[in-house]
Amino acid sequence: MRFIRFIGFAVVRAWQGFWRNAMMSLAATATVILMLILLSGLFIVISGLNSGLEFIERKVAVTAVLVDDLSQPQLDGVIAFARSQPGVRDVLYVSPEMAMDRLRENYRERGQELDLGGADIKLYASIEVALTDPTFGDSVASALQTRSEVKTITTKQASVDQLVRIIGTIRTVGIVALILVGAVVLFMIVNTIRIAVYSRATEIEIMRLVGASDSFIRWPFILEGILCGLIGGLVTVVLVAIVWDPIQPVMVQVFQMPTSVSAEFLATLSAIVLAVGLGVGAIGSWISVRSNLSAAA
Amino acid sequence: MIEAIERPLAAAASDVQPVISMVDVGMTYPNGKVALADVNVVIPPGDFVFLVGPSGAGKTTFIRLLIREQLPTSGRLVVAGRDLARLRRREIPRLRRRIGIVFQDFRLLPNKTVFENVAFALEVTGASRTDIRRRVPQLLNLVGLHEHDEHLPTQLSGGEQQRVAIARALVHDPAMLIADEPTGNLDPVTSWEIIQLLIQINELGTTVLMATHNQEIVNAMRRRVLALEHGMLVRDESGAAYEREY
Repeated sequence: MRFIRFIGFAVVRAWQGFWRNAMMSLAATATVILMLILLSGLFIVISGLNSGLEFIERKVAVTAVLVDDLSQPQLDGVIAFARSQPGVRDVLYVSPEMAMDRLRENYRERGQELDLGGADIKLYASIEVALTDPTFGDSVASALQTRSEVKTITTKQASVDQLVRIIGTIRTVGIVALILVGAVVLFMIVNTIRIAVYSRATEIEIMRLVGASDSFIRWPFILEGILCGLIGGLVTVVLVAIVWDPIQPVMVQVFQMPTSVSAEFLATLSAIVLAVGLGVGAIGSWISVRSNLSAAA
Repeated sequence: MIEAIERPLAAAASDVQPVISMVDVGMTYPNGKVALADVNVVIPPGDFVFLVGPSGAGKTTFIRLLIREQLPTSGRLVVAGRDLARLRRREIPRLRRRIGIVFQDFRLLPNKTVFENVAFALEVTGASRTDIRRRVPQLLNLVGLHEHDEHLPTQLSGGEQQRVAIARALVHDPAMLIADEPTGNLDPVTSWEIIQLLIQINELGTTVLMATHNQEIVNAMRRRVLALEHGMLVRDESGAAYEREY
């Protein structure tokens, strides 16, 4: 019962403190929102690019176009050779007929019909090699290049490398930006709580003199900082939920994010945003209370 | 140097546990200033004691040590049965609930009513609403302010504000009430009213220690007087005047 009274006391005092010092509290909350929006944006972009990368990696990594008119033993030989290479997960033989079917399908997906104008065109047969890890791409391609059955080799290595580089750069820039904004947020919260502590110096002194415990004195201020983080987090969650509707189809169609992942994405992001908001509020106010409370009264 | 030295010894020898027991207590600040030196005082329960001395004599340090805002740099100090040097940080609030304190400047919260100012002291120590509703009116009755419970401090006279401060100091039913220049901001008539209230509180069993410069009051009251000069206890006398009479 005493604990419940303590919680009630601390929460009410934190709420009163937040609005008594409204300008600073709202400024601190605004910086929290700024940081969390940046975090959300970074999370969305990196998740999208990662999904795209996974999609590319899942797809065939090395394609060996075969010379025409191979005998069955030659074909079996080159397939077995490909399978024996380290890092190879799967090998699929694509016959000229299958290649033509795929081409027709591609046209249909774009709303067109493949029109050969009656010509008898035969596409090359190929083998598509899926890898356990994209880093094996170069070695598998080189090995297949040595085979006489292979006409040309195409790999997705370049696009994978490029995407990995882009993701790495965005991640680094994003994390640096987040750290900088995070430092500003901490500074704002520390100052907000510092002002709150000094504006209530008489109250704190009276509390000490009448025998209030440290928890009764400190927790309202810590909760006030947490409140900045919580309000900032909730506002950001609402903003992200609003923009998620137009973003979700982009994630699924452009970045090939699996539907199951995209359905849970908002919940995951909301949890992260709220946790970071609460965390930064708590850390900022805790630092401030530790360094300012004994000096204030 | 200490004329009535037999008094603390006699009290220490009795079975009654003193409210304050100072043995060779000294306080030297880091800058080398000696605020108190070898102070020996025993105050039994129910005593009414004046603490006098010129500014800078050590009265404030004396009070700060009692409420454990500072620790003495030497000697042993026991307050309300607790050796303050051995008191853990989390035990300090409990000690302070055994000591009520009022100041010259009242230190009331201007945005809270009389009732809320007194209730605040209970609220911040986790008291229930039932306790607050029961206890605050009792105390406002005691200090004669039950009809002003909805007033803000700014709507009260200085004497009334000091009464509110006294009511707040008594919320935890302390063993001792420390009054640091409680009449310093009040006119003579109001000062006497506050003294009468402190006597009444003392008669109800609370030990009172009052630091003051008010010679008229000390001389008229003829109570125990502790006189400090340059950090040393130069007089501890019962039924005494503000200044040495012999």
